[in-house]
Amino acid sequence: MWYHKPVINEELLQSLPNLKVVASSGVGIDHLDLKLLFSYGVKVSNTPFIVSTDTADMGMALLLASSRRLVEGHAMAVSPDTEHFPADWLGVEVSGATLGIVGMGTIGYKVAERAKAFEMKILYHNRNQRIKEEESAVGAVYCRKIDDLLLQSDFVLLAVNLTPQTHKLIGRRELELMKPTATLINISRGMVVDQGALVEALQNKVIKAAALDVTDPEPLPRDHPLLKLKNVIITPHIGSATKKTRWVMMEEMAESIEAALADLPVPRQVL
Amino acid sequence: IGKKVQAIYLWWHKPVINKELLQSLPNLKVIATSGVGMDHLDLKLVASFGVKMANAPHAVSSSTADAGMALLLASARRLVEAHNISISPSLEYYEAEMLGVKVAGATLGIIGMGSIGYKIALRAKAFEMNILYHNRTQRKVQEEQAVGATYCKKIDNLLQQADFVVLVVSLTPQTHKLIGKRELELMKPTATLINISRGAVVDQEALVAALRTGVIRAAALDVTCPEPLPRDHPLLKLKNVIITPHLGIKTDKATYMITEEAVENILAALNGLPLPSEVLPS
Repeated sequence: MWYHKPVINEELLQSLPNLKVVASSGVGIDHLDLKLLFSYGVKVSNTPFIVSTDTADMGMALLLASSRRLVEGHAMAVSPDTEHFPADWLGVEVSGATLGIVGMGTIGYKVAERAKAFEMKILYHNRNQRIKEEESAVGAVYCRKIDDLLLQSDFVLLAVNLTPQTHKLIGRRELELMKPTATLINISRGMVVDQGALVEALQNKVIKAAALDVTDPEPLPRDHPLLKLKNVIITPHIGSATKKTRWVMMEEMAESIEAALADLPVPRQVL
Repeated sequence: IGKKVQAIYLWWHKPVINKELLQSLPNLKVIATSGVGMDHLDLKLVASFGVKMANAPHAVSSSTADAGMALLLASARRLVEAHNISISPSLEYYEAEMLGVKVAGATLGIIGMGSIGYKIALRAKAFEMNILYHNRTQRKVQEEQAVGATYCKKIDNLLQQADFVVLVVSLTPQTHKLIGKRELELMKPTATLINISRGAVVDQEALVAALRTGVIRAAALDVTCPEPLPRDHPLLKLKNVIITPHLGIKTDKATYMITEEAVENILAALNGLPLPSEVLPS
């Protein structure tokens, strides 16, 4: 299964009586009806860890690009209309700023490791607090209440998986808690954010900017307001899109499939 | 009015400091520049008028290092291309292959390991990059170990091994066109050149040729020669090039700190005290 295709539904499963395994690319499994699959005796695997580093890198790439207005800057630098670079054109400083990581799993933690090198102050919100040594290693402070993180962060990065609990986790209320100078970065799933509320917040300067590797749907309809906002960077879900990582992902998926077909324990099985 | 001027704060290399200006300002004591580069000033000329010069080295290093990393990541992950595809009115290219280069485990070659270069090394280490550096002088062992950087006495060794080459030198007669056809050909065909120093450190024509023919994979340039480039310049049309408008120090915080540093230097000069960051003609 590559990029959530084909769609697995009852019809498909009924038409494939000998289906033993679905190997899904990437870590997210929100697109799979696990109950349904298991009821047909089909095993499921994903590729959880290999994507972490590239996805964390993408999060930082979006954070930096947004803060320094890199996409806008490039457009200005290559525009046929540009005669000189304005002297008062400024971005936001990353070094020393506060990063709030929502979802401190493998990917979130790797983001923290990277952000620390930029001398960022790191806050995090997670279902569970990490152990002291892990927190100290990256200088991260736990925020049991997401509100505390939202109130203090200059950059809010979403690295949760999509579950019923994280669906529309960031809505109008959360956006209004954020600083008007803050940036939202989403490398999780489009549906973790209330997209309508995000559009309003960006249009009304409730927050400063957004950088999204994921949207709902992907791609967005061509007339969607997010496509037109100057303070938004959108990338086509390329968090794990490097040659090396994709190669390993395919190897891992093939491995999982072979194991399932041989009735052996399936590496990276999703239970 | 010329007799009243005792200090000049140069903002973005303006006004141009030449003989006429210096002659018209007999009481000028100090010129403070907004940044760290001094290549736009004729140091000997200014000194010959008894005028002191200062830059703002401390204020620039973090923001410039950040900009360097921003360009490295944007280029590696094809961020600008990807954004343009995502917002394009046509979905024709949406499914197209948008694979980038993995940064973790890749080798970064830093040319110029001053304050800015070193801050880049600190950041790159957190991205699990292998770090090589070339500098006029080798850094102390502890400094090297702190960032896991290996010294390359010969620039060629760095160029041959690096997946990403970042230029962080100041522009001097020695670094003018430091990266030319020969150096570009030494680089890997999969390598990326990032320039956050000065446009003139690179032989721009050689760079265009190298990018067109796949001698190197891509370039990301915060600086060019001139700035901005003429609108018909080939660099503007290459798909594997990101250009930014010399934004290395252009953040709210950095510009504030730069101005603070400049004011400190100006006040010191006017009060006959030692300047915190005086620049002498070498």
